Amino acid sequence: MSSVAITGNAAGAGVFTLASPNSASSFTATLPAATTTLVGTDATQTLTNKTIQGGSITSGTSVATTSGTAVGFTGIPSWAKRITLLLNVVSTSGANNLLVQIGSGSYTTTGYVSTAFYATVGPSTQSVTNGFLIRADNASNNIAGAMTLLNFGANLWVETWLGGGTNNNQVYAGGGLVTLSGVLDRVQLITTSTDTFDAGSINILYE
Amino acid sequence: MTHRIVVDLQTGVTTQVEYTPEEQAAHDAAVAAQQAAETAVTETVTEPVAETPETQP
Repeated sequence: MSSVAITGNAAGAGVFTLASPNSASSFTATLPAATTTLVGTDATQTLTNKTIQGGSITSGTSVATTSGTAVGFTGIPSWAKRITLLLNVVSTSGANNLLVQIGSGSYTTTGYVSTAFYATVGPSTQSVTNGFLIRADNASNNIAGAMTLLNFGANLWVETWLGGGTNNNQVYAGGGLVTLSGVLDRVQLITTSTDTFDAGSINILYE
Repeated sequence: MTHRIVVDLQTGVTTQVEYTPEEQAAHDAAVAAQQAAETAVTETVTEPVAETPETQP
């Protein structure tokens, strides 16, 4: 049978302890049959020749958009490179546009390059600089769709938007970009002018 | 009162943040202005166009 040898280091003075967790069950950790270094969770390390199956997408908490003028998500982790904001038949009280704003510590309200349209037959297009635009035109809009925010590099974020009206045969689309002053940690959907939310919900995915 | 809703993804806590009095006053003023504008449009009366008498041959 093979043996297990635990070898100290004559040059070191520290004490390394093998400790078990508090458990009533027994488990076995099998050492790799190779000359290698085990990987811990305490430091950033590079894995090679490993296959990761089912890379996870983290889902946030669904929030009703039935009142108020803004619904936001904070605490987005710094490693997120793709963020998807999902709209579930979101409606507002008026005929004004919606905006999505992102930020680092606080929401960025300037510097966006954003154009979007709604269309039943011919498109109605608009451009803004205070957020990623969701172009809308009347209070009966029930908008379902997804806005994807992609990290281009550093703090530059590129946006795509595509949605449909669930009760008015309209299609919505748009795109844009913005450079944040720091690492993105939040995103919010807001109404404009005097509108308030009166139906639907939103959620967020990040990966 | 108008408000904003914030979800902290790290804690899962959802918070409703009420408008400050200044924000609420600005929102109420904007709503009143919009309602006044809509009322003014509704009350606009279009004058009928006077008919031109037909010319006898």
